[in-house]
Amino acid sequence: MRKKICSVRGILAICLILAIAFASYATYYKITHWGFGFTPHEGTEVWTVDAHITFVPTGEPIEVALSTPRLGEEYKILSEDVVAKGYQITKDEKNHRLIMKSGPKKSEQSLYYRIMLYDNEDVVGKVRDRTSPKVKKPIFESEQQKGMVENIWALADAQDDDGTAASHIIKLLNDEVLEPEVDAYLPVKQSQSIMAEKIIDLLAYKGIAARIVRGVKITEKKREAPADLMLEVYEGSKWRIYNIVTGVSGLPKNFVVFQRGGVSLFDVAGGHNSEIRFSVIQSAVSSFKMAGRRAEYENSRLFNYTIYNLPTLEQNTLKWLMIFPLGILLVVLLRNVVGIPTMGTFTPMLVAMSLVRTGFWSGLICFSLIILLGLLIRTLLTRLNLLLVPRISAVVIFVILIMQMLTIFGYQYSFKIAASAVFFPIIITAWIIERASITWEEEGARNATKQIVNTSLVAVLTYFVISNPYIRHIMFAFNEWNLVILIIVMQLGTYTGYRLVELKRFAPLIKEKE
Amino acid sequence: MWDYFKIFSNPKKFREHGVLGMNARNYYIIGRNNKRSLYPLVDDKVQTKTLADKININTPHKIGVIEHQYEVKDLLKIVDGHSEFVIKPAHGSQGKGVLVIKNFSDNVFTTASGKQLGFNEVYQHVSNILSGLYSLGGQYDTALIEELVHFSDAFQNFSYQGIPDVRVIVYKGYPVMSMMRLATKESDGRANLHQGAVGVGLDMRTGHANNAVSHNMPIAIHPDTKADLMTLQVPMWKEHLMIGALAYEMTGLGYLGADIVLDKFRGPMMLELNARPGLAIQIANRRGLKEVIKNVDKYYPQDLTAEQRVDYVLNNAT
Repeated sequence: MRKKICSVRGILAICLILAIAFASYATYYKITHWGFGFTPHEGTEVWTVDAHITFVPTGEPIEVALSTPRLGEEYKILSEDVVAKGYQITKDEKNHRLIMKSGPKKSEQSLYYRIMLYDNEDVVGKVRDRTSPKVKKPIFESEQQKGMVENIWALADAQDDDGTAASHIIKLLNDEVLEPEVDAYLPVKQSQSIMAEKIIDLLAYKGIAARIVRGVKITEKKREAPADLMLEVYEGSKWRIYNIVTGVSGLPKNFVVFQRGGVSLFDVAGGHNSEIRFSVIQSAVSSFKMAGRRAEYENSRLFNYTIYNLPTLEQNTLKWLMIFPLGILLVVLLRNVVGIPTMGTFTPMLVAMSLVRTGFWSGLICFSLIILLGLLIRTLLTRLNLLLVPRISAVVIFVILIMQMLTIFGYQYSFKIAASAVFFPIIITAWIIERASITWEEEGARNATKQIVNTSLVAVLTYFVISNPYIRHIMFAFNEWNLVILIIVMQLGTYTGYRLVELKRFAPLIKEKE
Repeated sequence: MWDYFKIFSNPKKFREHGVLGMNARNYYIIGRNNKRSLYPLVDDKVQTKTLADKININTPHKIGVIEHQYEVKDLLKIVDGHSEFVIKPAHGSQGKGVLVIKNFSDNVFTTASGKQLGFNEVYQHVSNILSGLYSLGGQYDTALIEELVHFSDAFQNFSYQGIPDVRVIVYKGYPVMSMMRLATKESDGRANLHQGAVGVGLDMRTGHANNAVSHNMPIAIHPDTKADLMTLQVPMWKEHLMIGALAYEMTGLGYLGADIVLDKFRGPMMLELNARPGLAIQIANRRGLKEVIKNVDKYYPQDLTAEQRVDYVLNNAT
């Protein structure tokens, strides 16, 4: 006999361990691969980047080409959108260029390219490129200029930190107090792109290939700002990216590359005074919506078979259902471990469900009101000596009428509490009234009140569990834990220890003996 | 604040004393020894009575059974010639829906408490029974009409009105624990401990009181009749135990409770059986059931007849 239980418990224990392992792994997977969070408000940051191209048409056919970020690189693209009315849009996938063509136009043109980005995967700013690039050696106008360059390199090589040649050069050119040689080399009018070109020239002198990278630094509330520049230097067999001002290498977390190398960021044929401006808006999208996108990148079909891929309506229904196992576990604990007797096993659970829809206090007051009125009417019915089925049916109808009355009065006097009456399960409420009334007659008011209080108490406890947004979120996002709950409930089916209330009930049995 | 927690006892002490908890009872005792298919035998009093007659267990004689609503009007025909009888639901429990008619003459029914009822009121009561008002799950029920028990005078001073009965717990055919339940003013003539009735633990060898409780607390005298409970002695003790032992043979239930009343003329009579008897009997006896049950499993001989088992208990019970 003992062995048999041991094995039942043993099997359940093994199942429990397996279930916990499975649920833990699923949780880990969902967090790392699908980006689920533990709190309901946690969403993924999504950046909307607008590239705004403006130009004045010259009257000739227009062709606008724009370098676009590569899909799946650094940032992932959630959606891509072009607003260019009257333009024919094609995409040059190979060169990552967006081409917009149109016949001649008259007024100033305004084209928008909008992408929604998410997830700055930690790209270290190194883009592999096997083919070693050709370096165009600079042609110097004079020997004097060549001497200047050599002087600068001498200064750069003299810096003794462990930076690369490129970082030394960048630092040298950005010193607060410039060395005389550098000062002489740089033009009077400085802009970021001129600086970048000068650096490229300097590096080319030593045979180091470098190129300009244009993109957008993603910072909140960027409005109509010009493109940001960075420098990419070919080192070893990789392109390494440098900040053009500080000489720090590596792609900053918040930088989206639109264009790199020889091609331009954008070209406009058939227009002049062309300009590109970038705007950035930050927003948050729920983890569940993003999960599908992430799964797409991972080529994970698994996602199609989860609840998160369902239409919102079904998702909401399931979200509502997913919380119940925990409520059921609570009911089992309260009945079999604590030992609180309630009216009907799952009645408290159903009342708790109604409380979630009505709101706590208004629901509780309303529920008490219905029960109280119902009991009054039931007392009157007792005198009529009706048979059971018609009597309970009469109580059901009375409950419906009470609900109607409360709702109408609640609406008339803008007394919201009463208006929530309709959410209570009619049949269950009627049975509570019937049972309470029978208990009242047979075992006295005290026992009847005790039963109602017990039932309400368990309902309130269940309510707090199933209405908690954090618990709800976790049970929905990581619904594998319901499997663990199932096994725990089964384990509780083999619990043969004392109930908490029994410790009190049987207490006199021991005390006397001592 | 800690004083509050003192009302709870240490479960370790419970285990030492062999107290049987509700979970353990359901899991080890009822789950293992009581086949679900046998429940109808004890849940339906008509079936129980038929079985008892076969095996010669004393029960109140059946006067009649009303199964359908259209038969209710024949009530007068059924009780014709009987001046006293009891109408009870076949699936009732804890004495719910039991109507005791002390005197029936000239179409007037006089109840135990002296209330006079007309035919219509009794008709209504029987209808209520049939519609399932007093049955466990609310399902349709049968009304059983049987002879009135003439209670022995042995307990006259011990019970405040109502019906004193002996509850015997039978495990694998061995009567293992027993108590007498005495009605009080508070329990309103009923013998349910949670309604305030007094429970008197009985010595298994002698049928003599060994302990008494009211509302779980030890008492020595009856709160209403002021009788000294410790002097209580159940007459015909062996016959009481025999009913319990035979009930096992009759039903096959490994764990059952037999409710027995003592009739002035016919001796101990079985009123009803219970497949899930409660645990309050432990408090009345100030003794854990688990301990006794363990002994039965370990030391008590198997394959004895009912009478041999009763003899064994009378000689060896601790």
